[in-house]
Amino acid sequence: MRGRATRRLVTAGRNGLRGFWAAPLVSAVSISTMAAGLLVLGAYLLFVGNMRSVLEEFGSDIRLVAFTPEGAELPPEGAAALARDLVGVTGVAAVRFVSSDEALERLRGELGGDAAILEGLERNPLPASFELEIEAGGRSPAALEAIAQSIGQLRGIAEVRYGEEWVESYALFVRVAEWLGLGLGVFLAIVLGAIVSGTVRLTVHARSDEIQIQRLVGAGGLFIRLPFYLEGALQGGTAAGLAILLLYGVWSLGLPIVVEPLEFLLGPRAPEFFGPAQVLTLVLFGVGLGCAGAIVSLLRLEERP
Amino acid sequence: MIQLYHIELRYDGGIRALRDVSLAVDRGEFVFLTGSSGAGKTSLLRLLFAAERPTAGQLLVAGRNISRIKAAQIPRLRREIGVIFQDFKLLMDRTVHENVAVPLEIAGASRRETRTRVWSTLKRLGLGHRLDHRPRALSGGEQQRVAIARALVTDPPLLLADEPTGNLDPELARDIMDIIADANARGTTVIVATHDPSLLARYRHRLLELSEGRLVRDALPRGLASREVVGQF
Ligand SMILES: Nc1ncnc2c1ncn2[C@@H]1O[C@H](COP(=O)(O)OP(=O)(O)O)[C@@H](O)[C@H]1O
Ligand SMILES: [Mg+2]
Repeated sequence: MRGRATRRLVTAGRNGLRGFWAAPLVSAVSISTMAAGLLVLGAYLLFVGNMRSVLEEFGSDIRLVAFTPEGAELPPEGAAALARDLVGVTGVAAVRFVSSDEALERLRGELGGDAAILEGLERNPLPASFELEIEAGGRSPAALEAIAQSIGQLRGIAEVRYGEEWVESYALFVRVAEWLGLGLGVFLAIVLGAIVSGTVRLTVHARSDEIQIQRLVGAGGLFIRLPFYLEGALQGGTAAGLAILLLYGVWSLGLPIVVEPLEFLLGPRAPEFFGPAQVLTLVLFGVGLGCAGAIVSLLRLEERP
Repeated sequence: MIQLYHIELRYDGGIRALRDVSLAVDRGEFVFLTGSSGAGKTSLLRLLFAAERPTAGQLLVAGRNISRIKAAQIPRLRREIGVIFQDFKLLMDRTVHENVAVPLEIAGASRRETRTRVWSTLKRLGLGHRLDHRPRALSGGEQQRVAIARALVTDPPLLLADEPTGNLDPELARDIMDIIADANARGTTVIVATHDPSLLARYRHRLLELSEGRLVRDALPRGLASREVVGQF
């Protein structure tokens, strides 16, 4: 009995493949439209995904800088005592002292050929500072704010700076982009689902005689519906595969062109393509869309002839 | 095998195709269902394979109450009934072999079993050389036999034939009746709907006659014989 059920499924599967090939032009149009939609979605996801990793990477070396008052000499003992106080603040993982001489050296390095303008200075105008590494839990904008406040109250600290605004607005940007991506995903799911649904309905229509005959000689609901689900799934999966291949092609060829103008958003690190898990998710998204479209188009198929 | 109690079938337009029909057909019987065109023969057959539901009365087929059958149970019922449709209902874009194989595929038969059964059935019906043709390329009589092959290929306990000899010449009609009689001899219960008097005259079987949806006659072969004498010869 089990063998019979399996064979029935196999036959239904064969019929689905038959449907897929029966109207190659319709299938091709449906697949390419879906592929185009999924391509747009994929490109967008790549963009957002890479922005997100910038955010994560930036978060891992987020630093607070606490400046001592300008012009005040800080003896080594004083610096050591302040460093101890700073490490005592909750959320601070490590402290590094940057003397005013070291700060000037760095500035000189950054200026490079223009360092000559520093020659006219009578004395070093840069204050000594402490670079603070923040614990993993304290990197959210609110936590940073709190840490900055407690440090600011310490005696001997004049000013606290951190990348607050930049991080916050970038995070907001990424979040908005993610929401837009979700919206785009839902929109495309509806549009592409409707496309598959339309294609499958065409097949159902073309095969209505066959369906009626199959029913009359005892075909069950699943035997009749399965081929259409399979056809939808096949279209969705093929479209997703095609979209990923195309995207990868564009990625490999066109990346050098787009990377430079987008560097301000993506940072200097090399952007990454989808990993295997993400590729699988996209393919499953396509397959799911195809099935859903087929299911919708079969909702109105009557149970009795 | 079949029992009808006060069956009424009223179509959406208000036409009463069957009125208060009660009858019983035993396992292994061969029954003619007759009556002029529009009498309700096709409607009665359609009730038996649950393509219609009676608007009143009870209907039992192969131990199932069809008047209250669940939609999910219908496929199983139909797999036990071979139906020869008046318009054949063949798939025009499939070969003869594929057409006859459909009920076996639905039943989940193996490929090997399907191949041998389809082949032996078609051979028995004289279509062994037509396996790979499409129905369009066949004559009316050949298409009729393909339809019969599909109905018989699963060896169903019940065979319903709707005008199986309609618009065939007498010789072909006899061939087809022989095939159906052969199935009956091997144990299949048979109901043949026909309004062809010559067919009724030639074969002596129980006769059910419908007129305007009512069962007006249920005659056994002996009664049939007397009618032959009066009416035909
Ligand atoms: N699907 C239908 N809808 C409405 N009326 C129908 C339908 N099928 C048959 N009828 C009517 O029911 C009556 C019986 O038809 P039918 O069973 O086909 O008779 P027969 O097969 O004896 O010629 C006829 O009056 C016919 O017009
Ligand atoms: Mg009829």
